[in-house]
Amino acid sequence: MSLLSICQWIQDTPIGTGLRESIWMFPIVESTHVLALSLSVGTLFWMDLRLTGTFMKKQPMSQVSRSVLPWTLIGFTIMTITGIFLFWCQAVKAYNSIFFKMKIAMLVLAAVNAIAYHSTIYLKMDEWDKAMPPPARARFAGWASIVLWIGIIICGRTMAYNF
Amino acid sequence: MSYLFPFFKWCDGTWVAETIRGSKYLFPIIEAIHLLGLTVLLGIMVIISLRLFGFILKHESTRDLATDLRPFTWTSIVTMLVTGFMLFASEALKCFDSPSFRFKMACLFFALIFQVTVYHKATTSDKVDSSPGYARITAVLALVLWFGVGVGGRAIGFL
Repeated sequence: MSLLSICQWIQDTPIGTGLRESIWMFPIVESTHVLALSLSVGTLFWMDLRLTGTFMKKQPMSQVSRSVLPWTLIGFTIMTITGIFLFWCQAVKAYNSIFFKMKIAMLVLAAVNAIAYHSTIYLKMDEWDKAMPPPARARFAGWASIVLWIGIIICGRTMAYNF
Repeated sequence: MSYLFPFFKWCDGTWVAETIRGSKYLFPIIEAIHLLGLTVLLGIMVIISLRLFGFILKHESTRDLATDLRPFTWTSIVTMLVTGFMLFASEALKCFDSPSFRFKMACLFFALIFQVTVYHKATTSDKVDSSPGYARITAVLALVLWFGVGVGGRAIGFL
């Protein structure tokens, strides 16, 4: 069974077909996915900027992190759920879209970046909580996250087009 | 509303509109920039509102936070207005008939007025941090108005 036939099967399930052909559900799920950008990337962005040492310099990193991250996670939970449903109802279109593949690749890189940060320098935050500029690895994690998420948003939006 | 029709028709025929319509890539590129602007601007409204509700960053005053955010706030608003006008111009005649577009413009009108009046006043004094009622009303209005613009904008593509 090829990946394409799996995608075809996914979008032909009752949920996939129902969502794709619905008058209200698809727009609602789509709009939620777009507007939840504010809660996910829109809040993560400020934590990333703090990591790079360019924003909220007077606030200790631990405080910014503790304040912002729970809301960012709520945002990403909404993004993941709505994103899965959007894929569900148009899996073949996604399969054929180079932008979807790029988006997934960058999502994987963003996850690797986040895991790398949280399993290394994040654990030693006591040492650099108020340091300005923050250590190079923290700054790198911040910039990498910003660049990747900009790319993910652009690719997500561009999935609607066939060039 | 028909007295506004000549304006929509004029926008539709501008050089900007024709250039965007004539290109395969310009509309998606401008749209992507518009969406990045939305992420930043609505992200700011979420952060400020959470602070006004007292949920986050309590060690920093709303005024200090808003001061840090102000350059980003206005950069994103101006980016949204410029790219938004370009997108609108390229399909101005479609927008004229769109209830979503009218809803969006009404929200935008009030959001901008709110931004330079209530929001500005609340985020440039420390009064808001000692008056929870005032802070909450400001936060709710900021969220409702700016997310109204976002919902209306997304809905232009649907109805």
